[in-house]
Amino acid sequence: MMKTVGSARQDGGVLYIEGLRKSYGDVLALGGVDLDVRAGEIVALLGPNGAGKTTLVSIVAGLRRADSGIVRVDGLNALSRSSEVRRRIGLAPQDTGLYPVVTVRQNFMLFGELAGMSRAALRPRIDEVAEALDLTELLDRQAGKLSGGQKRRVHTALALLHSPRLLLLDEATTGADVETRTRLLDVVRRLAADGSAVLYSTHYLAEVETLGSDVVLLDRGQVIVRGGVDELISAHATPVVELTFEGAVPDVGLNGEASVDGQVLRLVTADPAATLVDVLPRVRADALQSVEIVRPSLEAVYLALAGRRYDEADREDKREDTNVSAS
Amino acid sequence: MYPRASLAVLRHEFRVMLSDPSTAIFVVIIPLVLVALTKNLFAIQLSEDGFASANGSEFAVPGMAVAFASFSVGYAGFTFFRDHGWGTWDRLRATPASSVDLMIGKVLPTVTLTVVQLALLFLLGKPLFGLEVSGSILALIVLIVVLALSLSAFGMLVTALSRTMNQLNAIGSVGGMTMAMLGGAWVPITAMPGWAAAIAPAIPTYWAMKGFQSVILEDGGITDVAGATLVMIGFGVLFTVLAAWKFRFEDAKVYFG
Repeated sequence: MMKTVGSARQDGGVLYIEGLRKSYGDVLALGGVDLDVRAGEIVALLGPNGAGKTTLVSIVAGLRRADSGIVRVDGLNALSRSSEVRRRIGLAPQDTGLYPVVTVRQNFMLFGELAGMSRAALRPRIDEVAEALDLTELLDRQAGKLSGGQKRRVHTALALLHSPRLLLLDEATTGADVETRTRLLDVVRRLAADGSAVLYSTHYLAEVETLGSDVVLLDRGQVIVRGGVDELISAHATPVVELTFEGAVPDVGLNGEASVDGQVLRLVTADPAATLVDVLPRVRADALQSVEIVRPSLEAVYLALAGRRYDEADREDKREDTNVSAS
Repeated sequence: MYPRASLAVLRHEFRVMLSDPSTAIFVVIIPLVLVALTKNLFAIQLSEDGFASANGSEFAVPGMAVAFASFSVGYAGFTFFRDHGWGTWDRLRATPASSVDLMIGKVLPTVTLTVVQLALLFLLGKPLFGLEVSGSILALIVLIVVLALSLSAFGMLVTALSRTMNQLNAIGSVGGMTMAMLGGAWVPITAMPGWAAAIAPAIPTYWAMKGFQSVILEDGGITDVAGATLVMIGFGVLFTVLAAWKFRFEDAKVYFG
């Protein structure tokens, strides 16, 4: 069933967030986010760069302070009982974080012990996690000498060691090769099947479609919708025909579902082929740069709800990030 | 507080330290070379100060030991900046370990390195340079440990005040060097200009050198070095309080650049 915005459930949720707000100076990062994740559930936190995903994950993990709002993990207030909460959390931050001068096993030992595991319990668990992520052969190798994909797997594995109640993965597959990505997603699914709640932040639309999880779409610090991939697509996504012109968009005589964005004419239509047959004779071929049909997908959901293309938003928000960093 | 966490970090920091022992070797070998080079020079000064039978190692060994121990100021901070550079700082903070656990686990290896370095130089001082300690060995050990703690606390303060690795290097190196020089580790206080001798008591290393001189040359025991020890503890507490006040665990530190 599709959940409406602002409908976080308090009952039985491993993670419960209500009215979470955070600003960096004048820049609003989170504007009152409500969210919940239950045991065994994978929730993909999807949004372009700068949408507020990392800020949200960082606040839940206790790395940043919220301006206001409630965060509970297993019913415990994340602010006042942060140590107990962190014991229940496994975090793989956005940037790969490993000690390069010691072995993979020694990295595992450190973070396993810090998570509260005994050395005796850690040894078999390291073998288990290493096998799941195809790291067994690498355990005694210096972490700094691994390939990028191998480092990414070790980085994520460190968050899984203590079988956390809540797994927070922030852009876990960024820069990962296909094999690494597949393995990571498999392990995430298995962990959820074993009862962990997973909050999986990503800006890859295709990855969320593959994961088949619940999706929370975040845009400019606001949850704009939540639901399963299929239900979101059927509820919000109608195919869109996009015609890009060399110069100004000509008047093609269509009303209603047509909108103009710079040199792009967007036509929301249930039948893209019929629309093209109707529209193309009305425009000069030499003025037309490209024609694209945006099929029903999360991309189209984002377009329908946020009013802009996902990849454009990603680029815009990256630019905004750069300006904020520079200022 | 979660002592097992401190222990895990401490063990790990030793492992990282031993993965590149060049710093540890550097702070032992180079002072030995400098002692060999300067010993005779200091023999003349000590003779003028009334220690006619001194061979110079009585000042050169503790002086070089203290001067190079001052490098631990930067090393203590380096362990934090390095974690920011490796992306492991947020990982550590996301574990149940508290800020105090992390701090203890990271600083104690630096304290240990400094203690071992100082102790090794004193131990090697006898066979290599004929250093004779006339006073209490226990008093010597107390001075070594308290000095290491005090310098590491200063290192934490410098770390708290530095946002970038470059700042840490600048403040740590210059601060450590100044502390060693004005404290009388490079040049005996009696040979320093009046203004420098006047401000020397405001430097922890001055009290370390004073204590070492008492133990090595003046048959000093625990009670003789109690004053110097207490002053160094006072400095250590002051640095720790200031560091705890200024340290922001959530602030990003820039490893390079």
